[in-house]
Amino acid sequence: MEQAEIRRVYLLGAFIVAAFATPFAVGAWSGNIFYDRQWLMDLITVCLNGLLQGGVYAMYGVGLTLIFGVMRIINVAHGEIVMLGAYLTWVLFNAPEYLGLGWHLDPLLTMVITLPIAFALGFAIQKVLLNAVVGGPELTPLLITFGVGIAMINLVEWIFTTDYHTIPYQPDAFHITETIFVGKNKIISFAMALAISLGVFLFLKLHRLGKAIRATAQNPEVAMVCGIDVQRIYLVTFGLGAALASAGGALVSIQFGFNPETGVQYTVVAFAIIVLGGRGHYLGAMLGAVLLAVLENLVSFMVPNGSAMVEMAAYTMIVGVLLIRPQGLLGVKET
Amino acid sequence: MTSREHLRYLAYLGAFLVFLAVLPFQIGVYYRSFVMFTMMWVVLALSWNIISGYTGYISFGHVVFYGVGSYASAILVADHGWPWIPTLLVGAVVGLAVAILIGYPVLRLKGPYFAIAMLGAAEGTRVLVTVWDSLTHGGLGINLPNVENSMETYFAMLALMVVTILVSYWVGHSRFGIRLNAIREDELAAEALGVNTTLYKMAAFSLSAVFPAIAGGIQANKTLYINPDGEFLLLITITMTLMTMFGGKGTVIGPIVGAILLYLFQEVVWVKFPFFHLIMFGAFLILVARFMPRGIVGLFIARGWARKGMVH
Repeated sequence: MEQAEIRRVYLLGAFIVAAFATPFAVGAWSGNIFYDRQWLMDLITVCLNGLLQGGVYAMYGVGLTLIFGVMRIINVAHGEIVMLGAYLTWVLFNAPEYLGLGWHLDPLLTMVITLPIAFALGFAIQKVLLNAVVGGPELTPLLITFGVGIAMINLVEWIFTTDYHTIPYQPDAFHITETIFVGKNKIISFAMALAISLGVFLFLKLHRLGKAIRATAQNPEVAMVCGIDVQRIYLVTFGLGAALASAGGALVSIQFGFNPETGVQYTVVAFAIIVLGGRGHYLGAMLGAVLLAVLENLVSFMVPNGSAMVEMAAYTMIVGVLLIRPQGLLGVKET
Repeated sequence: MTSREHLRYLAYLGAFLVFLAVLPFQIGVYYRSFVMFTMMWVVLALSWNIISGYTGYISFGHVVFYGVGSYASAILVADHGWPWIPTLLVGAVVGLAVAILIGYPVLRLKGPYFAIAMLGAAEGTRVLVTVWDSLTHGGLGINLPNVENSMETYFAMLALMVVTILVSYWVGHSRFGIRLNAIREDELAAEALGVNTTLYKMAAFSLSAVFPAIAGGIQANKTLYINPDGEFLLLITITMTLMTMFGGKGTVIGPIVGAILLYLFQEVVWVKFPFFHLIMFGAFLILVARFMPRGIVGLFIARGWARKGMVH
């Protein structure tokens, strides 16, 4: 690495440390920090919650990074696919109840149904709308996916209204010690996220199709020369990204409230994650997800007006990291 | 292009101007505001076109200038009792300042990264405006003193639109515009040929920020109520983009035609279907981006119905 490159890495490190120090500084300034045992326990709980939330974030982060890495397309509709995944899970969860059966479908079990649906949806979007514009000017896919997103939001709003929904699933707390505890649903969702991302990671590393996806990401022309059907890889990649997003949606639905318009937040979070971790970098996305989630939880814990300022964390990360080191923490420089 | 042709276009614009100057006296308040908002969208589309059409830097957060302009104006009118016309100038200065503040770092990014960073900058500004409630009244928004000013806002917007059209025309026909085009086609080559790309990008960006800021100020004084979610709405950026794309980006006449047609269509047809109209909007966005990236003007040129020089 050349000198300037190394300096940028240090600068990025300093930026992230500063970003994590900011909520503490603001908290101390506004009197939200108490120097006793109880507060310290709360802080640990908050960090733990952030870590677990990072699992959900990783779900939509890796989907977006996969799509971006392979096709250089920014999928603005990514958050809407997450939202759609949450709605699908919610509908399936409540479906037996509506039919008068008196029981609910397990929201994690329904992934067996929702993931293929999302995969098909992503596949179709790529096939019909995006395959022809890969490699063209970047505005076109940006507008197309935004159009898809806006249509999805209003379609869902039309059917389900803007009411917030959530699925009550294992809401009781799991005590680690007397004072440190987290919701069981969060632990389950983290484990699920870890399992899925690990599965996809192994698929990308070991499976023939996964290798073909990585080859296409590195260089589509050489991949084509080697006999890889690049168009088909694009379809599979977008499908996979959408499936991961909808898995994220399922995990969202069991612990947070969602409505048709929350999709935009997920998109921004996913952007921040891939920028932070290094766009197109799979492990980077997971690292970025955990960092961002912990940071967000610290902000909402200590900063006054925290729930509004939480969004600020993602925007600061996006702009700051892009300016200091556009390839993010783990990404490699594009030539 | 000869100076005679310039004069001819100036004459067209003059005739258009006379028509628009007489029009408000013949119609009621509703149609007057309708024409006013049409002109506002023309201004917004043309401004977006200056940075994104000519320079190729896709500003995905252009609404930020509109938002800060409207807030600057509304705060001065509602909290400090200023008359509204001078506040527009303050709005313009604030818009310019924000453009320099955002543009200086962000314009170094290229392609999709610029678009994402602009989106982040705009949404971040929205959050700041929401949180800073001692200045902006936070999420509750600002109510302006109630007055009937459809005539004044109409003429303010008309003047702004004329200035925007003239500036866009100048950009389209000057060395300045040619250098912006050079940046769009190949920034590295433009730099090698001696174009100070940083300076030109900044100039184009600042220019494209001033007009939306003023337009936002006029709009705030017309609608008399603003709030962060309404003034920093991502959909406004997208509408500017769609109008410019639909008309033909990188031209002067394109955004004008696109804005008028689309706003007309939106008001007359789409508002009748509350959710469905946004679904249609999305579908229309996809169709335009996918099948007519050069817009109506591009279609005319391709069919040979218009000379290339005429539409610049």
